[in-house]
Amino acid sequence: MEVWKKVSRMPAKAIRNMQDDLLQKMVKNEFAKRHPYYREIFKEKGIDPESFRGLDDLNKLPLTKKEDMLPREDDLRHPKKFVLEPPSEEEQKSKKKGFALFGKKEEGPDPKDYKFHTLYFSAGRTARPLPVEYTHYDLNNMKEAGFRAFDILGLTRDDTMVNAFTYAPNVYFWQMFYSTVGIGSTALQAGGGKVLGMEKILKAMDNMEAEVIAAAPGYAMFALQTLDFFGFSAENLQRLVIGIDYAPVSATEKMKKLMESVGAKDNKVQRIYFNSEAKCGWAECEPGYGYHLNPDHVLVEILDPDGETVLGEGEKGEVVLTHLDAKGTTVLRYRTGDIATGGLVTEPCPNCKRTVPRLMGDIERKSHYYKLSGNEGPVDFNANELRRRMMANADVLLWYVEINRQNGTDGLKIVFKGVSGRDEEALQKNLEQEISETFNLPVTVEKNTLDAIANKIGLEKYITEEVVFDTRQE
Amino acid sequence: MENWEKLSKMPYKEIKELQDRKLRAFMANQIYLYSPYYSNLLQELKIDPLKVKGIEDLRHLPFTYKWDIAPTDEEPQKAKDFVIRPDEEITEKYSHLAKMSMTGGKAQVEEKVYDFKPVHLHFTTGRTANPTPFLYSKRDLDNIREAGYRLLDVFEVTSDDIVVNCFPFAPHLAFWQTFFAGEQMDVANFHSGGGKIVGTKNLMDAFEYLRPTVAVFIPGYCYYFLREAVKQGRDFSSIKKLFFGGERVPPGLKDKIKELFVQLGAEDVMVLATYGMTEAKVAWPECPSHDEYYGYHLFPDMEVFETVDPETGEPVGEGEEGEIVYTSLDWRGTAVLRYRTGDIAKGGLMYEPCPNCGRTVPRISSNIQRKSEMKEFSMTKVKGTLVNLNNFFPLMMSQPDVEEWQVEMRKRNDDPYDLDEIYLYVAVKEDVDREKLAADVRQKVLRDTEVSLTDIIFKPVPELVKQLGMETELKEKRILDNRPTD
Repeated sequence: MEVWKKVSRMPAKAIRNMQDDLLQKMVKNEFAKRHPYYREIFKEKGIDPESFRGLDDLNKLPLTKKEDMLPREDDLRHPKKFVLEPPSEEEQKSKKKGFALFGKKEEGPDPKDYKFHTLYFSAGRTARPLPVEYTHYDLNNMKEAGFRAFDILGLTRDDTMVNAFTYAPNVYFWQMFYSTVGIGSTALQAGGGKVLGMEKILKAMDNMEAEVIAAAPGYAMFALQTLDFFGFSAENLQRLVIGIDYAPVSATEKMKKLMESVGAKDNKVQRIYFNSEAKCGWAECEPGYGYHLNPDHVLVEILDPDGETVLGEGEKGEVVLTHLDAKGTTVLRYRTGDIATGGLVTEPCPNCKRTVPRLMGDIERKSHYYKLSGNEGPVDFNANELRRRMMANADVLLWYVEINRQNGTDGLKIVFKGVSGRDEEALQKNLEQEISETFNLPVTVEKNTLDAIANKIGLEKYITEEVVFDTRQE
Repeated sequence: MENWEKLSKMPYKEIKELQDRKLRAFMANQIYLYSPYYSNLLQELKIDPLKVKGIEDLRHLPFTYKWDIAPTDEEPQKAKDFVIRPDEEITEKYSHLAKMSMTGGKAQVEEKVYDFKPVHLHFTTGRTANPTPFLYSKRDLDNIREAGYRLLDVFEVTSDDIVVNCFPFAPHLAFWQTFFAGEQMDVANFHSGGGKIVGTKNLMDAFEYLRPTVAVFIPGYCYYFLREAVKQGRDFSSIKKLFFGGERVPPGLKDKIKELFVQLGAEDVMVLATYGMTEAKVAWPECPSHDEYYGYHLFPDMEVFETVDPETGEPVGEGEEGEIVYTSLDWRGTAVLRYRTGDIAKGGLMYEPCPNCGRTVPRISSNIQRKSEMKEFSMTKVKGTLVNLNNFFPLMMSQPDVEEWQVEMRKRNDDPYDLDEIYLYVAVKEDVDREKLAADVRQKVLRDTEVSLTDIIFKPVPELVKQLGMETELKEKRILDNRPTD
């Protein structure tokens, strides 16, 4: 925490200097020396780690994609190539020799820091999950990131919480767990709808008089909308912490209104952006002010999603990560496949005054950008934008979209269930008009039952709901 | 909490003295003052908590039953009365002087009270819509961590091992006991959440990726998992030990599991059992041995075990069969006195030092008829006969040719007043003489349960696995009671 107090008040220039220093050390002492994958790449490409000076030299380093890391059919242990090797015995011995005349003798790296401690899966939609190894060192960093996130959110031990992030061996659930246990707040580690089901979660929330719920945005909204049906109250609820899935700023407004409608007071909705490969989650003080990063743990760059150009402050682009202080599985310039619509800014937060860099806007999924052919030629279809609109629509309870192709023309089929008591016929018409105009694609809108849609999107089945289906290949 | 090293070498006499001392303090300073349910009960029954001098006096206290604590639709908050927690009135009454002190007395009192604050909770694993919550304070988490350390210590797991936790994730004891054990012992781990969370195939991949030395499973799922692994030709040769938890381990299963491990490349895997219950907030380890049963090692500084006659409630002697009755010692959060577990220990309680490992802590017999996972219908009248459905477990699990099985009770024509029917679904290995097997099983069921099966229905493995909910339910549904009620 002491470090955080300092880091979160450092001027941008000092943060950059610190990152220069950390990156140089990381490249020289870890990636070039102990990282099986990058060591090879450095050799292949003739990269000299000694001449590496810092952030300005970043473009000399290669980019990494998720596919580079995934287990292979014939080699399940391929991801081990991204795990730092512990210092060899020779290295340890050589460090122990001799003595220092002045000051403390440099002991060299501690092999304990490199010892495997726990494994999380990166939550992907790929066939095989990507195993991410944590050492004790990493776990401590993750706990620290959790403290920082709670500090930014303003959560204390007096808050009673339900951690309804879907259980999976991943950073989303565990960072939340370590934070609640760490600060000593009363918390139910529910494991999400997949584990307990909606009714039990709502009942527990009611019984515990919980003030805070942490959940995926879609699930949180669904919970609030079905509260009435199950006959529970949320009068103690004050705050939603949303993350894991796409959580646009504009949807937070709808959530606040929903909270009001179920009798919650002092409503607050806050966002966390978790990233498995970063090994931590970053919180936002208030919606729209950006996710506050930990500049001493991870370096974030914003790149052109289709190229390798590094973009300037505030420009929309892909989030690219480099570990500055990590052991276990580590990455260098890793393309996350997440698009930050507001890019990266380094000026102090106008709301909370913390000086750490912030990721602005919404975090969109790159895989949800489609190139389609509409009636009048090619169309760039951003399914994230459709999700944003549908989430902000107060009349829609659940929905999904199918991208289909007929006679060479692509179209959208939207299936929805309205909030009970709303005129579904009118909603159907409105949606059809609004969406076909916005996206310039042929659109059909259908109604379906709650169960059918909940089942299709995996509301209580998957880690995050899946609402975009590309059926064109079928 | 005592030092485990010291405690497990202490002569029983000293252990008993320790328990007496702890019980006296616990009754007078915690239960009587801060537990709403028990302080009311003791006042009602006019029992003076100061008269409880030691564990012998426990017999003068009333039993607590599951239904005393389980929430109902009418009283959803019932379980809260069992939580030890000083409220404002009490802190004011006992510490208003301290609060007035000039040297930060108020803050100190607040910190003291904060010590009681629940921070974590588990639910019981019933089938009811109203599971009972059991709360842990921060101090209690130290207890469950210590219990975890002791489990791993008895199982001889060290920080060089790698443990894969395959319990299904839930706010239940099994998963979290394993988690906290790993944390305390500082063992490398993977808390997968089980097949339901990560998928059976991914879990197998994780085994091959990590090469763990220890695996922790629910018995039913483990058997299924290993058979699938054999089919796929997986390499699990790194496994040295396997722990079971969450439900009873049928005797025949251990051998089947060992045999499967041999096919997966792991020779001589030690299969170990744990006994635990949500109400006790910890689980206990069975003393490790390849072929003998030495019982589960208890933690006498955290609880008192009694064994009583299930009918009369009178205590039975050392080594005699009886129902396990549990009393919390030195816990905060939810604490129960003389809780009737409904579990029958066939060999009772043992106070002699363990002949296997020499630890002196009391032991409870390995042969526990666990009813808890199917309390609702463990003894059921089928066709007018009282049937102990527990008997299906050892019987079916020890059938070498049976891969999976399920029992379903129905009424003829689905009419609540018609005859009971009992069906057995079985999935068998290929090239098995089905008629012979059916005749054999039919006869054994009659012998062990005194009912004759209405029919034995053969099913393909995948279909039965689905029917059991192997990858979708927290626990597979071995015994179904589909008899309509009127």
